[in-house]
Amino acid sequence: MRISIRHQLSTTPPAGSPNAVLQLLLTPQSGPTQTVESWSVEMAGIGNAERFTDAYGNSVHLVNQRPPEGELVVTIEGVVTTVDRHGVFGRVGPGPVPALFKRVTPLTKAPVSLYGKFRGSKDSRIDVLHALMARVGEVLHSPAQVQSQSQDGQSQSQSQGGPTAAEGEEVAPELPRPPATDYAHAFIGAARALDIPARYITGYLVGDEDDPAAFHAWAEAYDEALGWVGFDAMLGLCPTDRHVRLAVGLDGLSAQPLRAVPAGDGPKEIGVSVEVVS
Amino acid sequence: MGDTTPFDEMHNADGSVREPYRALAQWLDEQPDKALTLMQSDAEAIFRKLGITFAVYGSEEGTEKVIPFDVIPRIISAMEWRKLSKGIEQRVRALNAFLYDIYHRQEILKAGRIPEKLILQNSAFCPEMMGLEPARGVYAHIIGTDIVRVGPDEFYVLEDNLRTPSGVSYMLEDREAMMQLAPDLFSRIKVAPVENYPENLRRTLESVAPAGVSGTPNIAVLTPGIYNSAYFEHSFLADQMGAQLCEGPDLFVDGGKVYMRTTTGPERVDVIYRRIDDDYIDPLTFRPDSMLGVPGLFNAYRAGNVTLVNAPGTGIADDKAVYTYVPEIIEFYLGEKALLNNVPTYNCVDEEERNWVLANIADLVVKEVHGSGGYGMMVGPTSTKAQHAEFKRKIEARPDNYIVQPTLALSTCPTYVNAGIAPRHVDLRPYVLMGEEVRITPGGLTRVALKKGSLVVNSSQGGGTKDTWVLED
Repeated sequence: MRISIRHQLSTTPPAGSPNAVLQLLLTPQSGPTQTVESWSVEMAGIGNAERFTDAYGNSVHLVNQRPPEGELVVTIEGVVTTVDRHGVFGRVGPGPVPALFKRVTPLTKAPVSLYGKFRGSKDSRIDVLHALMARVGEVLHSPAQVQSQSQDGQSQSQSQGGPTAAEGEEVAPELPRPPATDYAHAFIGAARALDIPARYITGYLVGDEDDPAAFHAWAEAYDEALGWVGFDAMLGLCPTDRHVRLAVGLDGLSAQPLRAVPAGDGPKEIGVSVEVVS
Repeated sequence: MGDTTPFDEMHNADGSVREPYRALAQWLDEQPDKALTLMQSDAEAIFRKLGITFAVYGSEEGTEKVIPFDVIPRIISAMEWRKLSKGIEQRVRALNAFLYDIYHRQEILKAGRIPEKLILQNSAFCPEMMGLEPARGVYAHIIGTDIVRVGPDEFYVLEDNLRTPSGVSYMLEDREAMMQLAPDLFSRIKVAPVENYPENLRRTLESVAPAGVSGTPNIAVLTPGIYNSAYFEHSFLADQMGAQLCEGPDLFVDGGKVYMRTTTGPERVDVIYRRIDDDYIDPLTFRPDSMLGVPGLFNAYRAGNVTLVNAPGTGIADDKAVYTYVPEIIEFYLGEKALLNNVPTYNCVDEEERNWVLANIADLVVKEVHGSGGYGMMVGPTSTKAQHAEFKRKIEARPDNYIVQPTLALSTCPTYVNAGIAPRHVDLRPYVLMGEEVRITPGGLTRVALKKGSLVVNSSQGGGTKDTWVLED
């Protein structure tokens, strides 16, 4: 699938700040599931930015402005071709050893009710992961859980990344589903509690009738035979060619697309369009 | 160990004076009455004048104190020192190789020599350091290895201190004071110099400047500020090295490079000797609420535009749980047997060991895994029954939070106290610098427990210091 993406974010440093420093994790890489045809990251000061690879293998921009002038807008535009590998990303790249992604972070603490029944399971790891994805979807879709899960929505830019309730939905339209971040964190926390390496993925989603196009988040878990395999618990499926992979991290904080100091009111999403082109 | 009579560094069992102390003993005999009392009060005046103070956290007076100084130097023979320094060098080389490995290919984990979980799940392991290439592959450039002596030929390493060890200014000022107090002693006894430490520190820092720096690298000392208990040391070392002392807001990142604000405009910084904890150095990468750090600093480091000394994440190598594996680490990377002993450490998570520990708590030392400075620890033989019971409860509640070691009979040195000269327990912190080569300052900081029988030498707990002499051949 050939996908055209345009994404705009912004951050506004408090007035009078002498210097604003931004870290952008907004550059995708070609890999088994996608080929990046073209990509650009534009903002004032980008010409002087430092680029480097972070500990998770992401391509990072370090941009600064002194003094910053009002709202700083970041515009991303690019074209990526994807293939459907049924979620299998595989064993690629020099990144950290999978076992690192068993590390529990404050954002990835899952309640035992989520994963308890998979403890000591005789099923294959991949079967356990599929069942876990279904379980996370089921628990987070249910209204009672929505509140408790979204209370600790500590992530900033991520929380605006997921779609809100799809329009015209028949079932409980008054209860929006928690953003994609919560599904990813719940799945990752549960997988790690089961001693399975799991990591946080940011990216873009091509919309369909149920879910609009979005800046999105899902998880990848490690299987000895297949390598990294994606699990999108919010959609209840393994990533397809509708998913464009952007960055990897331990959780939503370490894979945050835009981090700024001073933070002001935090990053805002201006708009995202993800369209299939021929 | 196990022998309860501590080793007296000055006297043999028959009361005769040990060889390294002979000249000192003779000098002490020659001193008229009251001479030491006078020296002691002169010393106090010298330290007040030098302005060396430290803040005691949580003390009710909450004020700056002069660290007590004992006028009788501690003496180590040239032969003893050669042996010790060889063991220390072996240790810091192995620990640096270990740090490189666990932040890269992790061969030691793949080989199953250290449990993977102990490293990767450890809060002292810094995932952001993965794959980063520090200049010369060095992570811990400044190390203060804590050593205790229990016999003529028996030394144990208590802690490796690879984060930001402090106290080196006391080592330097103790020597300075001693030379003023007893210049005649230095003409009688040939003592290896320590005063070149700041120069060696500067050379070490320059040697780890990022590739591509032309000319003399620009060095900054980054301090949390005047409220830090070691602020005196930060400003002292910056001054002695001829480097700039900075706080976070004095530095900024532009185009991925680090600059210092000066009256004549921005000045590029190549090497930062930072005395700020890992979590606080860069709010963009670590704690977002840090006001002490420099936004973008870690990324500038990652991009290879500046060197941080010590590297973030070195704490994994002096973690108390990793400590027990140091002999293994030395064998794995250097193919050598450890020259210095590790203190045997009991693991409270293991039920059998825990039960043994609980039954014998009165004879043991209990330390919090992440504690330091003598806080959160208990020395069994000098604690009350109530304290024993309290630590038993703590261990039962959180066995993984404590390590337990036998009580070592720390060696004693003659110390000037109210009653005259009496033996008091001491430890030793030699300072190691690692850049293009390993430089160990002869001697180090001797800390002395001034209370009779006490084994706690921390200055926050009533300890003092002594000048430490390594004899030249």
